[in-house]
Amino acid sequence: MIRVVTQMRAVLLFYRSVAPFVLGVSALLLGFVLLPLLLEGKAGGSLPTLLLVKVLTYPVVCYLAEQMRPDQYWFFFNLGLTRRRLWTSLAALDSLLFLGVAVLLKSLLA
Amino acid sequence: MSPLLREAAGPGRAVLEADGIQLAFDGRKILSDIYLRAQAGQITGLLGRNGSGKSTLLQTIFGARTVPDASVRVDGHRTVPAFRTPGLLNYLPQAQLLPPNLSLRQAARMLGVGLDEATAAFPELRAQLNHRPGELSGGTLRLVQVLLLLHADTVFSLFDEPFTGVMPVHIETLGAEMRRACQRKGIVLTDHRYAEVLPLCDVVYLLHQGRLLKLGAHPREELLDYGYLAR
Repeated sequence: MIRVVTQMRAVLLFYRSVAPFVLGVSALLLGFVLLPLLLEGKAGGSLPTLLLVKVLTYPVVCYLAEQMRPDQYWFFFNLGLTRRRLWTSLAALDSLLFLGVAVLLKSLLA
Repeated sequence: MSPLLREAAGPGRAVLEADGIQLAFDGRKILSDIYLRAQAGQITGLLGRNGSGKSTLLQTIFGARTVPDASVRVDGHRTVPAFRTPGLLNYLPQAQLLPPNLSLRQAARMLGVGLDEATAAFPELRAQLNHRPGELSGGTLRLVQVLLLLHADTVFSLFDEPFTGVMPVHIETLGAEMRRACQRKGIVLTDHRYAEVLPLCDVVYLLHQGRLLKLGAHPREELLDYGYLAR
């Protein structure tokens, strides 16, 4: 149980470290694509496409993060977490957050 | 630590073996014909010239670097990547280990390390435990990182240049801490400070021209013969 809690905290820590990248992408997609579509009343059915675009940015973010901070993984390896586990957990968490904010925006501006 | 590993670290003394590790960069063989054996309760030293593959070997054993055909075993059981086995081993890289946005206290909690015990021999460090890595000097950060992994509950610890930047007055104490810790775990370390490493180690290996040579009872003589030390 302690191990699971530690690994969840580690994933959150990793999320914090790449938050400027992934939240930046989310802000761009939501602010410059979804919001104008909502304001024009043309957002119907755009969420799956936006989510797909968001998911497609993860490999790019992963590549950039590896180039800029190649040593960022050592602490997480020492907690038993692999690169794959870190990035899949981060992608799941970030996609849910993205989807949550998008749905909230949609319901507010509907 | 799992009961199985705890038992392995006890009187039976777990044995870590690595072999089949071959690696070449740009056609130049870095590692070939490697066999390394480390045992809980012992300190194993790994020496070699710059670029001889010491870090690569440790990273391969740890499991962070994937090398085809590499075999890492603990008590005969294959464990690749080893770092995924809870409580088996940890690794201090040459680079900074701790994330920049985490205080030492938070890092210790995540690694499951009691700071009172870890800093018992270095009480002056206690005033800095709420600091983040960027707020410490390089030597102090290195020392804290070694202590955290040394006191973590693992059967083995792998240290890549643990003494780098650590001031001489602390190196002796750190060596004593390692000797104390190796009563409950196995340590594999590599460092160019051979004068400190040799008396600390039970077994010494030299990486020479891609091969791992186990040195005998008079390692200094052999290090001279192989050109690691100058006559």
